[in-house]
Amino acid sequence: MNRSMEAHAFLVKKGFKVKSYGTGEKVKLPGASADRPNCYEFGVPYDDIYNDLLEKDKSYYTQNGILHMLDRNRRIKHCPEKFQISAERFDVIITCEERVYDQVIEWFGSRRSVYNQPVHVINMDIQDNHEEATIGAFLISDMVTKMAQSDDLDNDIDELLHEFEAKCHRPILNCIMFY
Amino acid sequence: MSNKYSQSSTLIAAQNQLVQWINEAGMADSGRKSDLLRKIVEVLLHQCSQMIPVYLENILSLVNDKSTDVKKQVIAFIEELSKKFPEQLPKIVAQLRLLVLDTVIAVQKRAIQASSIVYRNTLLWICKGGASLTDAQYVWENITQLKLLVLNMIDSDNEGIRTHSIKFLEEVVLLQTPSEGGGDEFSLDSLPSHLPFINRRALDEESEHIFQLLVKFHNSQHISSVNLMACMTTLCLLAKFRPKFMPRVIQALADLHTTLPPTLSQSQVNSVRKHLRMLLVNLIRHPSSNDMLPQLTQLLLDIGMTTQEINKAIPKEKRNKRLGEIKNGDTPAKRLRVDSPQSNSQGSDSNGRTELNQCDEDSQPAATTQVITKQNVTEDSLFDGLNNVENVVNLVMSTLLNSLPTEMPENFVNSYKPIPNSGSKVQKRSLAKMILSLIKDEPLAPLLPPPALVAQPILSDLAAKIPLLRDEEEKVTLKNAVAKLQESTKADRQMENAVSKLMEETRAEHLKEEERKQKDKEKLVPPQTPTVPKLKQKVKLLKLQEITRPIPKEIKEKLVLQAVSRILRAETEAAIGGAANIRAKFITIFASSYTPELRDLVLNYILEDPVNRIDLALSWLYEEYAFMQGFNRHPVTLQPKVHEKHDQNYNQLLCSLITQICESGDPVMEGSKDMLLRKVFSECPVVTDDALDYLKHLVAEDKIALLALELLEELCIMRPPHAHKIVSSLLCHVLSDNEDIREVVIKSAVKIYTRCTVFTRNVIEKNALLYLGFISLANPPPELTDSRTGKGVWNEDLYKICLNLVMALFSVNEELIIKVARVYGCAGSEAKRCVLRVMEGPVRALAASGDLSPAFVALLDECPPGAETLLTRLVHIYTEKAPPTPELVSKVRELYATRVSDVRFLIPVLTGLSKKEILAALPKLIKLNPIVVKEVFNKLLGLQSTHEEYSPVSPADLLVALHLIDPSKDDLVFIIKATALCFAEKQIYTQDVLAAVLQRLTEEQEIPVLMMRTVLQAHTLYPNLGPLVLDILTLLVKKEVWNHKVAWEGWQKCCERLIPRSAPLLASLPPRALSACTAVPRLRTALAQHVAALAPPARAALSPHVLHVAQSTDEQFPSPVPLPVPPPNPLEPLPPGMDC
Repeated sequence: MNRSMEAHAFLVKKGFKVKSYGTGEKVKLPGASADRPNCYEFGVPYDDIYNDLLEKDKSYYTQNGILHMLDRNRRIKHCPEKFQISAERFDVIITCEERVYDQVIEWFGSRRSVYNQPVHVINMDIQDNHEEATIGAFLISDMVTKMAQSDDLDNDIDELLHEFEAKCHRPILNCIMFY
Repeated sequence: MSNKYSQSSTLIAAQNQLVQWINEAGMADSGRKSDLLRKIVEVLLHQCSQMIPVYLENILSLVNDKSTDVKKQVIAFIEELSKKFPEQLPKIVAQLRLLVLDTVIAVQKRAIQASSIVYRNTLLWICKGGASLTDAQYVWENITQLKLLVLNMIDSDNEGIRTHSIKFLEEVVLLQTPSEGGGDEFSLDSLPSHLPFINRRALDEESEHIFQLLVKFHNSQHISSVNLMACMTTLCLLAKFRPKFMPRVIQALADLHTTLPPTLSQSQVNSVRKHLRMLLVNLIRHPSSNDMLPQLTQLLLDIGMTTQEINKAIPKEKRNKRLGEIKNGDTPAKRLRVDSPQSNSQGSDSNGRTELNQCDEDSQPAATTQVITKQNVTEDSLFDGLNNVENVVNLVMSTLLNSLPTEMPENFVNSYKPIPNSGSKVQKRSLAKMILSLIKDEPLAPLLPPPALVAQPILSDLAAKIPLLRDEEEKVTLKNAVAKLQESTKADRQMENAVSKLMEETRAEHLKEEERKQKDKEKLVPPQTPTVPKLKQKVKLLKLQEITRPIPKEIKEKLVLQAVSRILRAETEAAIGGAANIRAKFITIFASSYTPELRDLVLNYILEDPVNRIDLALSWLYEEYAFMQGFNRHPVTLQPKVHEKHDQNYNQLLCSLITQICESGDPVMEGSKDMLLRKVFSECPVVTDDALDYLKHLVAEDKIALLALELLEELCIMRPPHAHKIVSSLLCHVLSDNEDIREVVIKSAVKIYTRCTVFTRNVIEKNALLYLGFISLANPPPELTDSRTGKGVWNEDLYKICLNLVMALFSVNEELIIKVARVYGCAGSEAKRCVLRVMEGPVRALAASGDLSPAFVALLDECPPGAETLLTRLVHIYTEKAPPTPELVSKVRELYATRVSDVRFLIPVLTGLSKKEILAALPKLIKLNPIVVKEVFNKLLGLQSTHEEYSPVSPADLLVALHLIDPSKDDLVFIIKATALCFAEKQIYTQDVLAAVLQRLTEEQEIPVLMMRTVLQAHTLYPNLGPLVLDILTLLVKKEVWNHKVAWEGWQKCCERLIPRSAPLLASLPPRALSACTAVPRLRTALAQHVAALAPPARAALSPHVLHVAQSTDEQFPSPVPLPVPPPNPLEPLPPGMDC
């Protein structure tokens, strides 16, 4: 909700056709303490979440930036979406955490491909805080711009990612899966 | 009615719309056309499908459109059509074939993607059996050709196309194999058997070969990571849905795990491993993997999953089974076991890695009791053997004795990595596996044909039975293909297998070159399936190495030379273009990284005009320096390989620059030589020993000597860390016979000495002391004589040369004085004199500061033996300008008391001593050289001192003291001389002073020897002292002066001098003394006159002998005519008894 949406916002501004998803069971936001996160179902509008937290503890959630983040998110789209139930087919999927990458390839691996349409799954680790999310969005935008410039992404992706990895000094995972 | 009507009306509207769009599309540009086409397809498929036959041609004609998007739309249309309206397949399948061969890669990929769907739909359509036989056959032929096309694309040089074809082949294998699970999925079993053109068996075999092809592709060394992962996914999917592939898939994945392609980068390796793990976990969850659970578990353990993680992944029902197995144990029962029946019947997979399948039931439990032979050996028996220590020891020993090569083979060095888990069960197990494969694969083992050999007859059979072959040509190609499959014989494969096994503990970075080549070869000749005849020349990967030949080295070097000389010539152009810096960078990189010829070229270029190109030279120097230090930041290709000795390169370059600059006879350069040398030496990153040697050598050259010295000095000051090395080359010139050089060097030395580090200071001091030490030698050392032919004798100049450095340093570091003093102590007298002379200046400068320097105090404390004279001299100099400080005095006093017996030592501090001390030293002092004595008296009397100095001894004291010296015979002369000195100082010894002195002398118990002499002299000088003298004489009478011979004589002389005033004295003398006196006529006369002049009463008071003498005078002695007595010379009177 933080990193992916930051990147989402950034990429949309750059004119990419982009969507963002969560992969977990629920939408989890930090709560008053570490063991009591705020959980919502996918599909609950950002507006509702925003208002809920506003009621719970306005100053706390303003201070830790959650409200600000939600405010941003609701300008981008209506509600959080879950990747596993999406019917859309993408060319490239970018994850910001290895755990999410695992879940994505796990999901692909557990189902049969119907369309045989390839999709590149790429992971770049981004820490879950505001600053890193901003940096991550820049990096992702860089990477995606390079990909968009390629005439034949399937052929170039290895090299492209290799170069990008050397440039951004972050380990990158990638694989190809099929819809 | 109305409903029907409205339907038809919308249909008509749609048709009209369609027509309009199609017309529009014909005119539109590509973007618009693509949009329109999407709409057309949409409407056509969903609203007016009955119109498809009408407009199909219109759409399919767009296959030849220029736009990629349009073509993709067409493909999507074909794909959709095949699904919804398979009866149209005969019309579209040929178009699809064309599209697969399209020139645009994106279209090709989309077409391949569609192909797998179309293929599936085709089979479904054929199964339904609604179509006519000719149509079906036509479609089948087309689709077979399509399949072949895509099959060949697995070796495309486009990665995306490879990926898509893998996916297509996956579909083909799935469709062409029988489903064992009997699910509702389409499988080979669903195909009708009545059609003449479809042979189920052949299709099955074809799928088997495609599967082998996939496995082979999967295990090839040069597969890209994306392809590899796609392939892994495909294989796993096949294993899931067609369990007969499971063992081979797991084997392939295991092989992959042990030997990943060497071309992958680290993060790609990570991705692949992650992918592998995900796939294996998916596999283990899948019900079809039940039989392979142990292998999968083992593999997951190998990958690095923990047992808990694995157990978590295994479904519950399986886990129970697994637990049971674990309980059964560590015993040989825990073994890998494969009992899938088809594994043997299926022959080998392409890599022949089938040893997992070799564990037959019969060889297992009984293995422990059986004698193990080559035939019945299993992995487990080997494993048991490895658990026996004795066996292992024997095995290792016999290997060491019999098979160990004397030298380590290169491939071993390259590929060997320490075994991380040695001794663990897993490792033993895999070792057993390796040994097994070695034993089994021995070509000599005739009784057990290796499994792969079984495949041969099957393949040959296949070749004969393939039904799809239509003509001779295809047959021939097929035969070739089979032959090629057979060609990669068992032996070769097993060799490859064994090698990769050996490497399986770690992922070898680089396989042996030959093996790689071998595999390349295999990869280039793709395994061909018998059902797939060759249609066209294989698309080969573009390999630059194969189509180009390396340029010969000589030509390469020549080209490089030419290129660089062009860059060199382009100086002006580069400057104009603003690329001067880049050009310089280029030149330096070239010069430092390539051949010696190139270096010479650049060096000559620089030396052509060194004044302007010196900066280039310097940046080159820095480049070389960077190489020497390993700072280089160039890619590997730019690093010098031809000549590895970087430090030499740097040194050579520096030296040749310097020498060439110095020795060039170019008159133009003569003027700038100075500047150039200075620049090179001061700006180069490091001055090597050779360069330094050359600089030293330059000092010997007349013209440039001074410059060289300056450079040396600069180097010392500018490069403090190296100063200690450099400075000694400078210092040796201190002994030069050229005075100018000496002077310069000494100045520099002092300058460096004041500025440099302690370390360097030590070096300088050491040198100075070394030279200083020379003076204590009997003969001048070779350092001095070498330059002056045959001069083996010391002279003052030589001494001075030796001393000059230390003296120069002395002004900076006073402590050297002690060292000087030590050497002085051992030196000869000639040298000593020289030292004294030379020291004078510096010490005087030092003394001018007034205070006593600590070094000097230390010297006084130590006083090296033999250096007393030096000390005396030093003390002297110290006290020249200022009165001695109490500290100095006490030091001197101490030394005098303990070490230095020479009284001269005291002289400088005399005024600082106490009265007693001075008086004690007085006897010794007066014995010294008259000049010195004079000086001493001057000092004591405060005559010379310009400064206020109060002598502790007053003049009167001094004179008295002189009189009181014990007058042994020898001393007397000195005392007399000393008193004479006193009397000479009339300003000091005035009448009063002398009166006081006389007074004090009379008070002495004993009459001092010289007393009367002094009295006489005093009277001579100051006649006014007469009364006092008379008093003294009177007093002496009381002391019975006549008993003291010398004094008595003086007394008489005195009386004589004081006549007539002394007459009464005579009258008071006792008879014996009187008679002695009256022997002198003048006295007798005086007495007689005195008596005669007396009044009678007074005369009566005289003693009778006086009267007698007085009267007898007149009778016995004629009254003498008073003669003028010549006044005695007051300055040179001799004491009584000394005048003879």
